[in-house]
Amino acid sequence: MTDSVELLQCQQVRLQLPGGFTLGPLSFRLCAGKIYGLLGANGAGKSTLLQLAGALKTPQAGQVLLKQQPLQQLEPRVRAQQLAYLSQQQPPTNMTVHQLLQLGLLPHKALWQGDNAADKAAIDAALLQVGLGSKATALLTQLSGGEQQRAHLARVLVQQAELLLLDEPVNHLDIHYQHQLLATLRRSGLTVLASFHDINLAAAYCDELLVLQQGQLQAVGTPEQVLTPALLQQVFGRPCLVDRSPFDGRCRVTFAPESQ
Amino acid sequence: MRLSLSVRCWLLLLLLPASGLAALQIGVVELPLWSLLSGQPTDALPGQVFWQLRLPRVLLAGLAGASLALCGALLQLLSRNELADPYLFGVVSGAALGATISSLLLPGLALALPVAAFAGALLAVLTVLLLAQRSNAHGMHSVSTLLLTGLAVSFCASAIASLLLYQADSFAANRIIFWLMGSLSRADWPAVSILAVSLLLTLTLCSLGRRQLAALAWSDDMAQSLGVAVKRWRLLLLLLCALLTAVVVAYCGGIGFVGLMIPHLVRLLFGTQILLLLFGSAVGGAVFLIWVDTAARTVLAPQELPLGILTALCGSLFFLLLLNRRRSPYES
Repeated sequence: MTDSVELLQCQQVRLQLPGGFTLGPLSFRLCAGKIYGLLGANGAGKSTLLQLAGALKTPQAGQVLLKQQPLQQLEPRVRAQQLAYLSQQQPPTNMTVHQLLQLGLLPHKALWQGDNAADKAAIDAALLQVGLGSKATALLTQLSGGEQQRAHLARVLVQQAELLLLDEPVNHLDIHYQHQLLATLRRSGLTVLASFHDINLAAAYCDELLVLQQGQLQAVGTPEQVLTPALLQQVFGRPCLVDRSPFDGRCRVTFAPESQ
Repeated sequence: MRLSLSVRCWLLLLLLPASGLAALQIGVVELPLWSLLSGQPTDALPGQVFWQLRLPRVLLAGLAGASLALCGALLQLLSRNELADPYLFGVVSGAALGATISSLLLPGLALALPVAAFAGALLAVLTVLLLAQRSNAHGMHSVSTLLLTGLAVSFCASAIASLLLYQADSFAANRIIFWLMGSLSRADWPAVSILAVSLLLTLTLCSLGRRQLAALAWSDDMAQSLGVAVKRWRLLLLLLCALLTAVVVAYCGGIGFVGLMIPHLVRLLFGTQILLLLFGSAVGGAVFLIWVDTAARTVLAPQELPLGILTALCGSLFFLLLLNRRRSPYES
């Protein structure tokens, strides 16, 4: 921990939603260059936590710091240059894939600046990374669910932010692209906080895991530290077996099926 | 065969000067257009008709049509609602209330009506924005709040105006009713220049903020995560729309359906790229209103048809057609 730089810090953050759900108070820190996985049951507060970290929601107590500066006080454009956010569900839009990716460049453009060749190159590169090189002119509504998700991920990559906050990024993706995208993120050297439902996928690609239960952080640490049968039973309410994957020796969780 | 996009753009652009020239030519008094435009000496009457009546009127028709259609397109983008229209903010009802009050209090003063109408329109819009802002603070969804508040303020202002007219003498009532039907007969150079400046300002801001607009048109959350100062941009654009519409209403009365119909047509013909949609709407609105006004002043000449009746007639028929083959781009 000593050699890595602190990028984002949540200090005693608390937020009560209109429905009565309360997140926190909780504290954690994200260090540069690491991949963090956010785990928890439905309604545990994963999306709310990501929205707080992305400045889409303002905490009622405590504060979020981005590189030691309070997130809420940053100029929106400066914040978006350093922090990109992908929500769980994208509202439908009639943009083409290329227009969507152009939006990713928005934080880097002054009002009077036009689009140039470098922008086009950046967009093409991001599309290749997510395997959509041939779909630049397609309308988003004409793509399959998985292709749309990949286009949105490409938009996040084009934004060139150091910190990516991704709400279920591998949702809708087939097995091939789940692994390919997470591997791309690992290679990129960016800092990522992403929520997952697939614990094994999170264990395979994340440096650290954060486990939420009813708005509280239950555990933070490496997959080996966090993924214990006792904790998983407590959070997900199911007995499970934790062993090692024969491929890379990382944690592998198998939940017991419901007895019939 | 479907023409390519750039050909369609050029055709629309060429249609604007062509329509303007044609509209200058058509009228009760025949004008030697070429000698007038090239500065050759002509009789006094055609010169006066041209410079004092026909030219400002055609220009005002173009500018008012462009403004209404542009505001309609902008509001449909900002509210993500195809049915949004510049009159949504209670602009017309506010203007009508202002006009009513001025007609009752200062019946003799010619300038009082547009000034009071402008003040009324602006007051209505500011009320709507302020009330919507307050409900947003309580966590309500911003866009639907805005639409509903606009509707409520609109009905409130119309009710008061109707009450005043009900009590007033029939002369004042007639005057207001005719004004509300819309007309460009008030066209003069001050009106043309005020509207031209406001329109230019709005178009410039839209061009500069095209990326911000695209993000806002998509979703507030996405715009915010892309670093757009959502509240600031939306307020600025709404205020500009309101100002532009208020100017149009003050000078021309109620010209309905232009702001609703033209952006729809442009979307069908030119797609949904932001700048193409906004500029296409402006040009399309200008062409449309130039022709409607030409019809309004010639069909029953020398009598003039109220403009609003013609636009509403075209608009409602068009809308029924559209409903028949509805394919909303905002529905997935």
